[in-house]
Amino acid sequence: MWIERKALAQEIPAAAALETRQLSELLASLGFPVDGIASREGGDVLDVDITANRGDAMSHRGMAREVAARLRQSLTPIAMPTLAEGKPVVEVRLESPACPIYSTAVLELGPGTTPADIQSFLLALEATPKRLPAVDASNELLHRHGHPTHAFDADRIRGAVSVRWAKAGETLVTLDGVERKLVEQDLVIADEAGPIALAGVMGGDGTKVTEATTRVLLESAWFDPKPVKAAARRHSLHTDASHRFGRGADPHMAVVARNLLVGRLQAWCQATLVGAWTAGTAPAGAAPVPLTGTLLARIAGEPLSLADAAEALRWLGCAADLDGGTLQITPPSWRHDLAIPEDLAEEVLRLRGYEHIPSALPSLEGPPEPLAPAYLQRQRLARRLAQLGFHQTVTYGFISPEVDAAFAAPGNGAEGRTLVNSLGQEYSVMRGSLLPSLQATANQNLRQGAREVRLFELAPVYGSGPAGPVEQFMLGVAWGGTLGGEDHLSPARAVREADLSGIARDLGWEGLPPLRALGEGLFGFEVPVESLPREGARIIPAFRPFSRFPLVERDLSLLVDLGQSHEALTVAMRAVLPKDTLQDLRCVDVFRHKSLPEGRQAWLMRMRFQADRTLVGEEVDGWVAAALAAAESLGARLRA
Amino acid sequence: MDQLLPVEIVEAGRVFPQALSACVDLDSLLRLKGVYVGREGSHAAVLMDLLKGAPKEQKRELGAAINALKQQWEEGLKARQLELEAAKKQLASLADRWDPTLPPPVPARGALHPLNRLMDRLVDVFRPLGFHVEEGPEVETEAHNFDGLNIPEDHPAKASSDTFYLAAHPELLLRTHTSPVQVRTLLRVAPELAARGGIRFLAPGRVYRKDEIDPTHSPMFHQVEGMLVGHGIGMQHLKGTLEYALRALFGPHTEIRLRPSYFPFVEPGCEVDVSCPLCGAQGCRVCKGSGWVEILGAGLIHPNVLKYAGIDPTEWSGWAFGMGVERMAMMLSQTPDLRLFFENDQRFLRAMGGLD
Repeated sequence: MWIERKALAQEIPAAAALETRQLSELLASLGFPVDGIASREGGDVLDVDITANRGDAMSHRGMAREVAARLRQSLTPIAMPTLAEGKPVVEVRLESPACPIYSTAVLELGPGTTPADIQSFLLALEATPKRLPAVDASNELLHRHGHPTHAFDADRIRGAVSVRWAKAGETLVTLDGVERKLVEQDLVIADEAGPIALAGVMGGDGTKVTEATTRVLLESAWFDPKPVKAAARRHSLHTDASHRFGRGADPHMAVVARNLLVGRLQAWCQATLVGAWTAGTAPAGAAPVPLTGTLLARIAGEPLSLADAAEALRWLGCAADLDGGTLQITPPSWRHDLAIPEDLAEEVLRLRGYEHIPSALPSLEGPPEPLAPAYLQRQRLARRLAQLGFHQTVTYGFISPEVDAAFAAPGNGAEGRTLVNSLGQEYSVMRGSLLPSLQATANQNLRQGAREVRLFELAPVYGSGPAGPVEQFMLGVAWGGTLGGEDHLSPARAVREADLSGIARDLGWEGLPPLRALGEGLFGFEVPVESLPREGARIIPAFRPFSRFPLVERDLSLLVDLGQSHEALTVAMRAVLPKDTLQDLRCVDVFRHKSLPEGRQAWLMRMRFQADRTLVGEEVDGWVAAALAAAESLGARLRA
Repeated sequence: MDQLLPVEIVEAGRVFPQALSACVDLDSLLRLKGVYVGREGSHAAVLMDLLKGAPKEQKRELGAAINALKQQWEEGLKARQLELEAAKKQLASLADRWDPTLPPPVPARGALHPLNRLMDRLVDVFRPLGFHVEEGPEVETEAHNFDGLNIPEDHPAKASSDTFYLAAHPELLLRTHTSPVQVRTLLRVAPELAARGGIRFLAPGRVYRKDEIDPTHSPMFHQVEGMLVGHGIGMQHLKGTLEYALRALFGPHTEIRLRPSYFPFVEPGCEVDVSCPLCGAQGCRVCKGSGWVEILGAGLIHPNVLKYAGIDPTEWSGWAFGMGVERMAMMLSQTPDLRLFFENDQRFLRAMGGLD
């Protein structure tokens, strides 16, 4: 919201002594940060950020109240004509509790237009003056005092005016020229021909003030914030009026704003008052809120005097009575946000300055809770993969239905995971797999010149369950491109599936991981994090004895069928070897060549034996012979 | 003597020196030797045949010429052999020698994602103060995301223009902040709060808001929230804790500044600024010349949030804070475009997320 410095100083003269920068810092320290400063119409204007709970601050007067309370200086009294209210010129019926007061007047407009200084004020706030005094005065009042008012062309109103809920099927062409289809939850101002304004939001086009208007009917009411906010959202009609009524206006300003409006029209265009009257009464004020010294001290972090607190709150317009050890605070009619003792404590701290809050660490009352094993497991997995050369990715949780369908597990349809209001088709389904994102990211990296791409992601994927999406943390890994070839010791070769299964094994995955080809020379797998082993809680594992005697290594070069399973062969060999002595059995080389018999390949099987004694050559020979016999039982032959 | 020899032998003898020098290894020298002085198919054999078939009176002179020629060839071959053997020996000694100026093989380097790295760092910072980590689902109920946090029924955040809802489950949404974790945790620990003497935890995680993707907005981003509930907790504890944590994060000389603000789930509420860690509060592009950078929102937990969880706000109080991880990462790294964090270019990840 723009605040013009000169206009602010008219409300709080003490502000004139502040430099613009000082004023900005003062406002920020009160909770109204200044987002920008501009020079317009011969003066500085400040773009002040107003929080959603402070509708009362959305005006020069409101901002001046804050400055006055901090500086402990008086505001300029509001100057307005005293109007004698009389018999209604136009009957006003209040048919909904959402509008308890409606203050109004009818005036005959005379010659004259909006004064130059008012036009300049409006221009400084980026509000274009219309040079129609009734319209400009209403607008100027809104910015200066924060209370929205409206002027109707009185001669275009048919019969009595009522404030009521819209009827099904009614429509209203608003001032922006758009025809609005009204619903029964819309509060409207209506004459006997139908709605003439959306209450608290925008007037109707049919009764608007034009250059031809000679008589105006003024509206200065108070509307319940809820229907105003709902209507503004429903019709996407966010106006200066709806922002203020929606955040809670001051019901006692209804009559004051009407009087100010009449005064301006009388001064600017010699308007003649035909009649002024008010329907209904302002709603009762809020009940007093108690504030104890104990609560104030707890929140403030140190004991504060209740007398000082009362004085601060009085500067904000509150009535403060000390009742025993408790302050009874009655908030002013413009403050709807002071409902509980904590609100009052905040005001005391705010006016005192948050910089005076002391600083202390809270004491630890119980033993700290350990980090959850699942969380630690993900952290360790991430660090392990990074150590293995993989880059952690973070990608969006939603993808397109087509891509999702290509990767999601069978039976995991997208229906239960689809967003109703996505940013677009490509972001409309909560993903059922991490692999599409890894594939896209890997390809993007390869396209951009990466020789090799190693990626992983740890994130939830979603299943369609009857009660909604079911989340499961997954680890997805992708590896592709060219390995090596960048130094004199590492020949270049394409990434193979086996590379990735080695990674899965390193992470503790038992057996073959569910590898998937994600493209030419690009492979991936994903597994539930919970299926991977968790590290034990011990920092140092239990001692496992090891032999200090020599280790004996023997190789068997075997010719085996191309279809031979390595696992089956090792199971057969292990079965005949002494478990306590065999330290390792693995295939260390695979040789396939036309020089070998057709349909056969050569495996170099390496065995390592060790015991708590020196092994004798003959006994090792016996084990090797037994292992060979076991291999031969599967069709393997010793390679010549 | 040339008149006694056939033309091809004369020519072979003429090119012998070039043929000899063209032998760059011992194998090729052996082949040349075969041609010139070997027994079969060689020039020597031709010469022997010539000698056998020569008239008696020429034999003596021809024999002498042939011997001289063969001696010349053999000497040449021997000399070249010595040369090549020496070269081979020298090469072998070079091959054994390691050249320390050759580029070494570099192990593959991976990286944690910078956003995860920053969240891990925050957890590390708060651990010594007794904070643990709580997590919750990304698909949440309206009750956990809004109602339990004192967010009014008509709050704009509830609108489908700001929040993603599930088509088949209208009561479910993608959480708009990590604060539902507060609600879930408070509901869970409420019955045992007295026994455990309060609770303090961080809630890091991904959240979703319906923002178009641009250099400063993303429909998915990360937050870290912190919450502490105990006896007699006030603003001084919030200030003290944040001062400790932000100094651990940004350096020991970091100053913090609290400014009043409003969030429905805290009262009093505040924005927290730190003295600009990039320019030492001297004023720069990041702090827009002010020396201060807004870093997080915080406040004392609103009594309604405690009441919703079944915790008596007259006995217990606490504070909470929440910060945007991307925003802080961008500020600290001066990354100009938020989208870089989600594009996952390995060059960016490597530069930003190397292991400590």
